Amino acid sequence: MTTELTIDETAEVRLWHRVNRFLVREARLLDEWRLLDWYDEMLTADVRYTVPATDVRGETPGALGLIDDDATRLRQRIEQLLNGEVWCENPRSRTNRMIGNVEILTDRGTHLDVAANVIVYRFGHGRSDTYVGKYRFEIVVDGESFRIRRRVVVLDHETLYEHGKLSIIL
Amino acid sequence: MTIELQRPVGDPIVIDDLERLSFRVDRRAYTDDDLAAQEMTRIFDRCWLYVGHESEVPAPGSYVARDVGGRPVVMARGSDGVIRVFANSCTHRGALICSQPAGQTRSFRCPYHDWTFSNQGDLVGVPLPDGYGPAFRKADFGLARHRSDTYRGFVFLTFDPQQPRSLTEYLAGATEYLDLIDDQSEVGMEVIQGAQLHGARANWKLMMENSVDIYHFRALHKRYVGYMESLGSVPPRRRGGFGRALGLGHGANELPPAAARPLAYWTPMFGEEVRPRIEATAARFIDRFGAERAERITGTNRAVLIFPNLMIIDAIAITIRKIDPVGAGQMAITSVALAPKDEDPDIRELRKSHYLTFLGPAGFATPDDIEIVESCQRGYLNRTVRYSDLSRGMNKEVPETTDELPAREFWRQWDRLMHGDEGHLDIAHRAEMQGAESR
Repeated sequence: MTTELTIDETAEVRLWHRVNRFLVREARLLDEWRLLDWYDEMLTADVRYTVPATDVRGETPGALGLIDDDATRLRQRIEQLLNGEVWCENPRSRTNRMIGNVEILTDRGTHLDVAANVIVYRFGHGRSDTYVGKYRFEIVVDGESFRIRRRVVVLDHETLYEHGKLSIIL
Repeated sequence: MTIELQRPVGDPIVIDDLERLSFRVDRRAYTDDDLAAQEMTRIFDRCWLYVGHESEVPAPGSYVARDVGGRPVVMARGSDGVIRVFANSCTHRGALICSQPAGQTRSFRCPYHDWTFSNQGDLVGVPLPDGYGPAFRKADFGLARHRSDTYRGFVFLTFDPQQPRSLTEYLAGATEYLDLIDDQSEVGMEVIQGAQLHGARANWKLMMENSVDIYHFRALHKRYVGYMESLGSVPPRRRGGFGRALGLGHGANELPPAAARPLAYWTPMFGEEVRPRIEATAARFIDRFGAERAERITGTNRAVLIFPNLMIIDAIAITIRKIDPVGAGQMAITSVALAPKDEDPDIRELRKSHYLTFLGPAGFATPDDIEIVESCQRGYLNRTVRYSDLSRGMNKEVPETTDELPAREFWRQWDRLMHGDEGHLDIAHRAEMQGAESR
């Protein structure tokens, strides 16, 4: 017995595949420290990159988080990392991002709301850290590809007590 | 009364030599497990310790649960409006009576046997009470209440019922700085929701020292300074600044703002849009306090160390940083932002944004502080180098902010408490305090 995909499902699978490929590519650029390529090719000019506090999580209005970068500050973060100015990322740590559970929550035509789970392993300066969280993306459809307009990483950790710091881009 | 430390006589940890203008700390102070254990009994079991800010329990029934001095406690505002701090441990068999970090409740119920306590600490419910004899009285089993008090919204406790000083006496010269912070709003200050909970693999005292060390700023925080300059940050309007010893281990640095202050110190990096609002606030403060005090409140940055483990840094944002030891080689850090309750929403956003630029585990500065204190801790593994030096500014009548007077004040109190002679002010200390006070 064969199961034929309906035309609708085929479109859905194709879209999912394209999104998944996009996110895997993003993970690779970040792991390879190709941060300027990532910034130039994968983000919109009005990108916002946010990591909420571990006690508040989600996006509680008015709350203070850990990171809330607009494009300017994100660009600065990248340059500091690449120029070796981030003391704790010089020499550069090695990272490995595992992405799973990629799900298109809503297809709004011009943009998609995408969720995924992520584990980032980081090794450097004699220590290893693991960051576990959920990605929440707002991805703008840009011809055959996409650009990220909103990138929220909700950490599942109760605290960053063991990590001390968050010096990489999650 | 003097409690002898378990170490050879004549082998001190803190070597305070006013003649040679030398101040050294034996690095065992950061690495020795016995000393770390003794700190808990001689310092944390005795001092007044910061618990939280009263805005964190704004209404009757609100509470927070956290660790203070290594012990789980609950700070709760009872239905009667009174803030109390309780041991977070059931008086029956010891389980935590509150496992939510924060919330709102009329009562705390221990999940083990359903003993129930009111938000004022009274035992109000015991299932199957016929299992106890006539001598059993609920009144004997209320939650253990810690001695606590509030100064200008900052709630402290002491685990020592014999602590001879009231909170205000204990805070000594630091009250002046808490006043300068709490005076920043007519309706009160509040902790902004969202705590930065992190830590470092280093001794807690390294972070206390780091937090009052301005000497490292331009070296370690080049990337932060560079970013602020790229935003249009300008050099301070006036020069100067000084370090102070505030007594009983407390210290402060006070200096002109290097950038801007969201309360009432506008510079171009904040943008023209908010300028009229910020300048109107500045004018209001002059009306309320007079030009001189208004300038001190609104136009001055400060970092205040309150012994043993509280830092309040009031600069482009206000951070309250509680630093807890976890053995000799690890610390837990809790940082929150404090702001005027009645702050304009746009200015609140500016404040938060600048807070994040500098502070917290992903800021442009704090991660380097974390890394550097961890690096010191690793460096101490080489015991060939025995001492750290903290003597900067001992040669000056008025030490500057790039000197190490507040850290020395911290260490002198540390040394006194570890020797069990809390009230003693030695001659060297008094001389230096007088120097700093003669400003």
